[in-house]
Amino acid sequence: MNQWLTTTLIFLPIGGALAIWLTPMQRLWAGVTALLVSVVEIGFWIVSLVRFDFGEAGSLQLEQQTSWLSDLHVSYHVGLYGFSLWLVGLTAVAMAAAIAYGFWAGRERPRAYFGLMLLLTGAVVGVFSAQDLLVFYVFWEAMLIPLYVLVGIWGGAGRAIATLKFVIYTMVGSLLMLASIIAIGISQGTFDLLEGGPSSSTLVFLGFAAAFAVKAPLFPLHGWLPEAYRESPPEVAAVLSGVVSKTAAYGFLRIAIGKFPEPVQDLRVPILVLAACGLVYGSLIAFRAPDMRGVIAYSSLAQMGLITLGLFATNLAGLNGAVLQMVNHGLLSVTLFLLAGVVENRAGSGEFARLGGMARGRPALATVLMTTGVIALAVPGSTAFAGEFLILVGVFATGWIWAVIGAGAILLAAMYMLRLISAVLHRDPGPAARAGGQDLRPAELAVLVPLVACLLALSAWPAAISDRSFGEGDFPALRDILR
Amino acid sequence: MILAAWACLLAPLAAALAIALLGARITRRGAGYLATASVAGSFVAAAVAFAVMLGNDPEDRSQTSTPWSWLTAGELDFGLGILVDPLSVFMMLVVSGVGSLIVAYSIGYMDGDEEERRYFAYMALFVFSMLLLVQGGNLLLLLAGWGLVGLSSYLLIGFWHQRASAVAAAKKAFVMNAFGDATMALALFLLVQHTGTLDFDLAFARMEGLGSNHWLVNLVALGLLGGAVAKSAQLPLHTWLPDAMEGPTPVSALIHAATMVTAGVYLIVRTHPLFELAPTVQDLAAGLGAGTLLVAGLIALVQTDIKRVIAYSTMSQIGYMFLGAGLGAYANGMFHLMTHAFFKALLFMAAGIVIHALLGEQDLRKMGGLRRALPWTYVATLIGALALVGVPPFAGFFSKDSILAAALASGTYGKVLLAAGLIGTFLTGLYTFRMILLVFGGEQSAHVKEHLFAAHAPRSEHSHELEPNEPGDEPAATHAHAPGHAHGGEGPFSMLAPVAVLALLSVIGGWLQFAGFWTPVTDWLHPVAEPLVEATNWQEAMTSIVAVVLGLAGIGVAWWLYGARRAAVPALPRVRSFLEHKLYFDELYDWLFYRPAVLTSRLWAALIEGPLVGGSVTGVARGTRVLSTRTRSLQTGLVRSYALAIAGSLAVLAVVFVAVR
Repeated sequence: MNQWLTTTLIFLPIGGALAIWLTPMQRLWAGVTALLVSVVEIGFWIVSLVRFDFGEAGSLQLEQQTSWLSDLHVSYHVGLYGFSLWLVGLTAVAMAAAIAYGFWAGRERPRAYFGLMLLLTGAVVGVFSAQDLLVFYVFWEAMLIPLYVLVGIWGGAGRAIATLKFVIYTMVGSLLMLASIIAIGISQGTFDLLEGGPSSSTLVFLGFAAAFAVKAPLFPLHGWLPEAYRESPPEVAAVLSGVVSKTAAYGFLRIAIGKFPEPVQDLRVPILVLAACGLVYGSLIAFRAPDMRGVIAYSSLAQMGLITLGLFATNLAGLNGAVLQMVNHGLLSVTLFLLAGVVENRAGSGEFARLGGMARGRPALATVLMTTGVIALAVPGSTAFAGEFLILVGVFATGWIWAVIGAGAILLAAMYMLRLISAVLHRDPGPAARAGGQDLRPAELAVLVPLVACLLALSAWPAAISDRSFGEGDFPALRDILR
Repeated sequence: MILAAWACLLAPLAAALAIALLGARITRRGAGYLATASVAGSFVAAAVAFAVMLGNDPEDRSQTSTPWSWLTAGELDFGLGILVDPLSVFMMLVVSGVGSLIVAYSIGYMDGDEEERRYFAYMALFVFSMLLLVQGGNLLLLLAGWGLVGLSSYLLIGFWHQRASAVAAAKKAFVMNAFGDATMALALFLLVQHTGTLDFDLAFARMEGLGSNHWLVNLVALGLLGGAVAKSAQLPLHTWLPDAMEGPTPVSALIHAATMVTAGVYLIVRTHPLFELAPTVQDLAAGLGAGTLLVAGLIALVQTDIKRVIAYSTMSQIGYMFLGAGLGAYANGMFHLMTHAFFKALLFMAAGIVIHALLGEQDLRKMGGLRRALPWTYVATLIGALALVGVPPFAGFFSKDSILAAALASGTYGKVLLAAGLIGTFLTGLYTFRMILLVFGGEQSAHVKEHLFAAHAPRSEHSHELEPNEPGDEPAATHAHAPGHAHGGEGPFSMLAPVAVLALLSVIGGWLQFAGFWTPVTDWLHPVAEPLVEATNWQEAMTSIVAVVLGLAGIGVAWWLYGARRAAVPALPRVRSFLEHKLYFDELYDWLFYRPAVLTSRLWAALIEGPLVGGSVTGVARGTRVLSTRTRSLQTGLVRSYALAIAGSLAVLAVVFVAVR
């Protein structure tokens, strides 16, 4: 059964999507089915968690390999490392929350919508578990296409231009990655990530790096980000910044670092510079952003910079911190975007000038937003702090300047996050907030509270992830680090 | 003992969570009782731990308990554990003891506030964080507690969040403290990098190999000092503390006087082996303390808000503690920390009664003649003030003077600091009794006559007080709504009893240690923090006499100017305005940090972000052409069409799916 677990995790949601599309299901049942499938997906993830041997978190487990296009040496090869397992868990939880929110919000054309959300879930899990480059590419594209449609059809007024930018940016990245994949396939004779040894071609590395840098995004390739995050429905923005951006960070880890040790060493400083720029730049822009989604979007840019810093520290502290922070930021970003949606629902606007004073008479909303906000600004003792601490300890070994920049950015994070909290919750009610409705409804609580509970649980025990991502094993990057 | 220590730590956390989760199912009053009971339970547990430890051998009093690893990565392993030793038990007793008194006082003070439950949940959270800070078994957990007390302080300063000034003060406090957190985190990075651990003893032992005054040790100590200075509101990171008086008065008493702001002193004492390896930095700590005690004493002379006077006095007194800890007189600093917690909490809570009685008025200029109306409060304030000035036999005399004696015993640098400390004593007498005479002395002012106990009168008379955004009307806004808030006199039992206990402690607390005769505090802390200086009895006596004379002189001048009014207060407009602007620190930081940050943000948004986002479509189209040319040269042009075909057909497929559904 173990070898089928990963495949189940990938194809259960895709099967759910097909079921919703192909059977003559009623509108309501489409949502119920999607929600059920996403919850069962979490169940299967927990089963994998139990069956996973964390003593060897660094070797591929729950593995399955079947020949697919044998002439091209392509095989359907999937499996999980410790760190992939956590990212799959993040995906399952975040997608379930997003689907539940979409269900509660009552999206138009529910069959198409829920089918696409499930397809997205399966594709993302596929990206996190693929061990063959062509399989990886297929899932990568399969992940992007539902996103184009989700933003383009269910988005806000400016969705057309937002989608166009998103498509152009990611398409360029994907094409460069495809070129690199083919180059690898030709030169190594296999597309398998484990069979093919490390590669030292800088050009091929750059093709991958470009795709991941656009998707993350890394500064200055984030031109698509503000509009995509502002115009999407809140739960799609949540998934985009919380989960989909992590596929890029995962790509950096699994493919860029795992397969290109030499180019990584050569290009480490330019990449760290870009990451640090993104960290400071994103934080500062977030500090003056005029609306909730703006702050969350640019803080996302900053956090991806921080995660990249940790990854390219290429030592155990940095890598573990980066994986922990990927999960943290995923949960935080999802929660914050859903909260932005909740606030926009009530006030009709996320603009700070029109908000304020929402804490009054809404204790649940205030508590959830405050808790999420203070974890997001990495208050010492929180899981986000644990992640940032490890990342900065790791990158300190590369050069003290990165850690100083990182510590400065933590200060900026406090500034923009407190600004968001106060602008929404405190002072006198703004024109939009005054009219805005009640406290969180039970359905909203049912979506948000589990997410916050995950964050609090991780705050009590961040080692759950940081101790169980890279263990003994044959993960290539690890060999090079410990060498 | 370990069990008691865990109970001490976790009781307030449990109370905070229970209040938060129960929501409206617990009454407001019930939340207050629950919080008080949990903190009192902490105190009992701390006392048990103390009693057990007393039975142990002095060399055998340090125990750790680490149930699980909090954060690990490779070789690094930071446990979630507590350290129970004489120093942490000392702090646990002070924090939970004074804490339980102040939380009990809050039941009366916050009575009728609409959000009492939130208040008590925050208070319990604070006590938990503070206990985590002092019990944390390694530097990372200490930093966690450090950050969490900053968080609870933020939450409580901004408790009345509809007031813009309170929200701004809360943010300011958090950001300045976060700056301290950041320098501390940097120090920890260095420490981890060099020693691979953050356990106190292990890390200290491995740093010792570097020798004294090594740049690395100096940097680590400097980073820790940055955190200490920010949290304890010492120069130059002090500007948040006076603004923090926007919070409810019991919060000022607990967090911004008795416990949290003294955490910097605890940090220096806890990490003293590092500071001893970096004597320059340790001297800097003492110097900053001396500078702060002078500056704060001067600014306190011109403050018109009763709470701000006490706040500056707190800064100044912590300056004495830094002076002591910086000179290596650790036990003296800790002893002063304890007595200060007694008399400063007392002063704040007495001020709270005054503010309460005047329906939220905090302006000294509008007060006067309250001696008869609030006799017990007057006595309590007087006791607190005499203890603060250091008049024997009150508590401050014993603790402050032994810090000064240590300065006398510390060479030339110590003598300079001693001079500052002695001038500070004079200033303390002056500003403290200026406050007392303005509040209690003279005739009742018109304002007092109109407002004293006016809560009994129909609300309509005071409707002008109910504007929510007017500064300085805190309890007026909240308490005038209060149903059944009709206690006349000086307050309900729950407020008066803690004040009485603290008044008693301010009288007798100092007798715990009488330098030259009996020194139980120093002996108790000896295994953890061996002092670097010890004053002779002659030095103790000399400084005591001079300090008491100067303190009394300060009181005398205050009486001359504000009591007997024999002379006009010197005008000195320039000096006055300089002091009233608090030496222009706020303005300086505004220009140095806030404005540049805003400016950079705006500039980048206009110059980089606008073109980048707006022009991205055309730019990317152009870029695509360039890149595709390159790709073509790499893969002879087949790649692009192949990839476009795949992506395109997948896109078409998706659109078809959506269309047919």
